[in-house]
Amino acid sequence: MAERKLPKSTGIVLKPMKRTGKQLLRTLIFGKPNTVLYPEQKLDLPQIYRGKQVLDFKKCIGCGNCVTVCPNDCMWLEKVDDPELGKIERPGVDIGRCLFCGLCAEVCPTVALHMSTAYELANSERGKLRLSPMDIRDDAFGSTFVEERQKRMLPTLDLSKCTGCEKCAGECPEMCIAMMPVDRTDRNKPEINLAKCKSHAKCVAVCPEKALTMTEVYESYFEMPEPKLILDNCSGCGACARKCPSNAIYMLEMPGTEKTLKGGKKGKPKKRAVFVFEKCVGCGRCYQACKFDAIEIPGVEK
Amino acid sequence: MNLFEFCYGILHWLVDLVNNLWYWLGDFLPWYFGDFFTAVGDFAASDGHLTFMTILLESVVIIVVALINVLNFLWIFRKLSGRILDFYGPYYVGYRIGGWLQNLADGMKLFIKEIIVPTKADRLGFLLAPVIFVASSLVILSVIPLSVNFGLSTNESGEYVSAGALFALAAFSIAPFAILLAGWSSNNKYTLIGGMRSAAQMMSYEIPLILCAASVFLLAGSFNFVDIVDAQHDVWFLIPLFIGFVVFLICLIAEVEIIPFDLPEAEAELVEGWTTEYGGMRFGLFYMTTAVRSYAGGALATAFFLGGWQGPSFIPDEIWFLIKAYIVYTVFMWLTWSVPRVRIDQMLGLGWKRLLPLAMLNLLIAAALKSGGWF
Repeated sequence: MAERKLPKSTGIVLKPMKRTGKQLLRTLIFGKPNTVLYPEQKLDLPQIYRGKQVLDFKKCIGCGNCVTVCPNDCMWLEKVDDPELGKIERPGVDIGRCLFCGLCAEVCPTVALHMSTAYELANSERGKLRLSPMDIRDDAFGSTFVEERQKRMLPTLDLSKCTGCEKCAGECPEMCIAMMPVDRTDRNKPEINLAKCKSHAKCVAVCPEKALTMTEVYESYFEMPEPKLILDNCSGCGACARKCPSNAIYMLEMPGTEKTLKGGKKGKPKKRAVFVFEKCVGCGRCYQACKFDAIEIPGVEK
Repeated sequence: MNLFEFCYGILHWLVDLVNNLWYWLGDFLPWYFGDFFTAVGDFAASDGHLTFMTILLESVVIIVVALINVLNFLWIFRKLSGRILDFYGPYYVGYRIGGWLQNLADGMKLFIKEIIVPTKADRLGFLLAPVIFVASSLVILSVIPLSVNFGLSTNESGEYVSAGALFALAAFSIAPFAILLAGWSSNNKYTLIGGMRSAAQMMSYEIPLILCAASVFLLAGSFNFVDIVDAQHDVWFLIPLFIGFVVFLICLIAEVEIIPFDLPEAEAELVEGWTTEYGGMRFGLFYMTTAVRSYAGGALATAFFLGGWQGPSFIPDEIWFLIKAYIVYTVFMWLTWSVPRVRIDQMLGLGWKRLLPLAMLNLLIAAALKSGGWF
């Protein structure tokens, strides 16, 4: 084992002095100290800094994924009456309880919620730390930087317009649209394999009813669960479709289920819910809304 | 014109002015009061009284000049510590002059704080220790002249205290007693350890310090500052006595108690050591007195080894002296913010095993030079 070489006694003094002398020259003569004089100067924070939340009202669909994922339970959905957007639900955040983990921004399916670089959030009153949706609203914030999550243009289906003509399935060069029959409704629904889709937009061009449109879809960091319909329990009330923030549930009539009324006339047929999974954000509001146990989400127990 | 003549002139003019008024007042009074007035006026104008007052005025002038320098020293201390450790140092108070007013602001803040004496402390010793510490440090300044004309003298010939250097060194080493007194009377284990360390430390550095000074006295052949500086007219003592200079500087750092040897107030181990129980302006006085002692130490090193006020004549002598003292102090500060504190056993080992033999060697060199006839 080699003995450790001890420095000479002059080196103990002169080496540190050389080091500090260089430092002194750098800070006093050739430059300035690295200190940031805080109230006057502020640090250039990186874009990934996690400060106060900023919400784009126009992009937000009010799905509540941020509220669900928040580990400190510091977000909530609040009803807002917006002159432009009408009656909507948007999340608020309690900065006093927030741990700034950024999960809310990551889980947001439409990238409406961002963590901004604002960090001067202190307040003398605890109540003022509860920021309502209007406090965190900034619709222009998303345009100030390049979004980190990848964006794709994907066709989305408006099932109420679709007639099941199969033209889109025939046109797709990647063969990623399959016409699937929907149970008990004698209709077919195009199901798009989003993993294979290369955004050629030919299906959109060919659709005679303009039921398909290209929309921006952001990649998701999370594997969101999809709801499953138990058809026998479905009463066709339509509560799930009204609750769905992304309009992914359509109520379709089931022919042959009409009740015969008095006088021989036939009543309206029963309806059932049909999911368009390409649009689903996995928020689980349909699951909460259904009173007949007709919707279940795998892995979630009531 | 030296400082004595200057102060004497001012006082003479002032006494004449006042006496005119005084005698004029006396004219309105009955004769027995008038005689008393005249006697008082004559005493005020007498030479003995004027000389005494002149010496007082001189000491005031010298201490005010020294304290202005001390403010500069404190500013250098804080500014250098900041820049070496990569932050700004004093900045906002006195923004245009580099934060120079920060120390005044801190002093004002300390002035309005309460003086707290611990219940079980020895009250007399506790209150007396800062007085001894500050007074013994300020009295060093009185014998150190900044030039031939700027120093405390007792008559118009401008001769200074004949054993001034010896007196300065003696006054310098009173401080450990004040520290020991403060440490003992505070009734606190940290302060006591700090005071004892100060005494132990003094044992180790004082002897090499005095030996180095002795070699200077040997070469100069005098204890007087003016003679010592005059002896360095041709060559500074720095060159023949370089070993002595280095040893002297190291001992001065120990004497002033700044960081590599600030064992009595090791703030990490001893919670500011012997100043633990002191607050308010008493602490401020200790803080200031450290700078006073640094100033005195720099002045001693300048006078003994760096040629005093010798230098090209385009700068006044006093300024030369101060420039050299400032350089010595800056080197002290540079060292302070570079090296860690030594342990007490390392301190004693350094003092007895390294510095003392080197100081003896230095004294031998001085003796050889003197007997060889070079000086």
